[in-house]
Amino acid sequence: MYDKILVALDGSEGAQKALEAAVELAHTFGAELHSLAVEGKLPAYAATLGEVDEAKAEKDAFFERIDREAVAWAAERGVELHPSKTVGDPADRVLHFAESGGFDLLVLAARGHSLAHRFHLTGTADKIIDHSPCSTLLVR
Amino acid sequence: MEAHVTELWIAVGIALVALIASIVSVEFGVSITIVEIVLGVAAANFFGLHAAPWVDFLAAFGAIVLTFLAGAEVDVDLLKTEFKGSLLVGGVSFLAPFVVALLFAYYVAGWSWRASEICGIALSTTSLAVVYAVLVETGLNSQRIGKLLMSATFVTDFGTALALSLLFVKPTGWIILFVAVSALLIWRLPKISPRFFGRYGDRVIEPEIKLVFFLLFLLMALGKLAASHAVLPAFLLGLAASRLYATHDIERQRLRVVAFAFLTPVFFIRSGMNVSLSVLGANLSLLAALFGVKLVAKFGAVLPLARGFVGKDSVFFTLLMSTGLTFGTISSLYGYQASIIDQAQFSLLVTVVVASAVIPTVIAQRWFRPKTDEEGDD
Repeated sequence: MYDKILVALDGSEGAQKALEAAVELAHTFGAELHSLAVEGKLPAYAATLGEVDEAKAEKDAFFERIDREAVAWAAERGVELHPSKTVGDPADRVLHFAESGGFDLLVLAARGHSLAHRFHLTGTADKIIDHSPCSTLLVR
Repeated sequence: MEAHVTELWIAVGIALVALIASIVSVEFGVSITIVEIVLGVAAANFFGLHAAPWVDFLAAFGAIVLTFLAGAEVDVDLLKTEFKGSLLVGGVSFLAPFVVALLFAYYVAGWSWRASEICGIALSTTSLAVVYAVLVETGLNSQRIGKLLMSATFVTDFGTALALSLLFVKPTGWIILFVAVSALLIWRLPKISPRFFGRYGDRVIEPEIKLVFFLLFLLMALGKLAASHAVLPAFLLGLAASRLYATHDIERQRLRVVAFAFLTPVFFIRSGMNVSLSVLGANLSLLAALFGVKLVAKFGAVLPLARGFVGKDSVFFTLLMSTGLTFGTISSLYGYQASIIDQAQFSLLVTVVVASAVIPTVIAQRWFRPKTDEEGDD
């Protein structure tokens, strides 16, 4: 039914549930599984470049870690996960990646990891569902 | 209450505001700078937090440390590669709003000439860090538009620092000493510091930070004697140290830690504490007019040039050149502490500066963001 599945990761509890669902589906259908982590906004209106650089470095390290953990977690369940990472608007980047990659299922969480992300991701999930080029599974 | 107990409670209040600002910044992904200013406004206007002389002293030093860091973050090689373009764009980006805002404040708002000069300087700035955050986030920092924006902003910052140091100078003998010592330090620091960093750096007692603090305090003291401001030599001293810091990132990181943990919170919270909400409420039309003056002047001067350099992305480019934050706040606080502007004028200028950090950035990102190389094949 599904040959190529994309799961959106952000390190949150919700994203872990989305990963679990995506791994199970990939295992069931023998589908190719990819993940995309979109590094969200850097501190806008910063006072020094150092503040921006440090936030970027922290985000890079954070997303590298969640990619590593997701790949290991999927491998333990017999599924090979292909991780990718990008920057920009989360909804735009996920939609662009899903469309250009020819995915037939997109899996994402309903809630993100911080207070701001919780509010923001609801809008992100809404936007992705509205414009998704393929079937979309929203995991709660 | 005994004086020293009162001062301790002021310290408790400022430390609490700084702590809350950090938590808000992390939870909502907003820069600490604006949160500190906004919470400073709230603490003074709603909870009666007031400053003491030591707060003003630390805030002034925080401003100089920020200026030094801004200079130390300049990418000299980048500036060289875009030298002509950045000189032209960055030059008019400083000059046009400086002149237009100065004339507006003097002839329309009825401010004194010196207060109008502060207005011109505060509204002429472009925020390097705001520009940089947008460029890194969008991946444009490696493209030509990003490089030109960064290098033009260096030039605008330099113009601001130059104006702030020169315009209020009183010609006395001290100015000769101030200029001579500043020039000597800027010339010798790149030669002395590698040996100093090599022998004394990377230790928990941080001799290299103490060296920087000593030099900055010396510049502040001499600047005060000369009735000038240490912002230009501090910026140039940072610039002189930028290559050294590029290869000693740990030392730069530690300086930032000291600055961000203690000095810059005092500077930004103190700036917010000076803002009177009742004054702002009574002067909303002037507030809007000053904001409009900054944007119109930046657009009038930068947009035609930007069209030549970046074509269809010229509005995005100009909006980012219209942002301001740190140098605008530094200029305003200097004007207030030197009694050149009053609290009402300070409140208006800082609010316009903060608004110019937020509004053009949001508009640029939402409606005018150029496509990156990655998005180009959509």
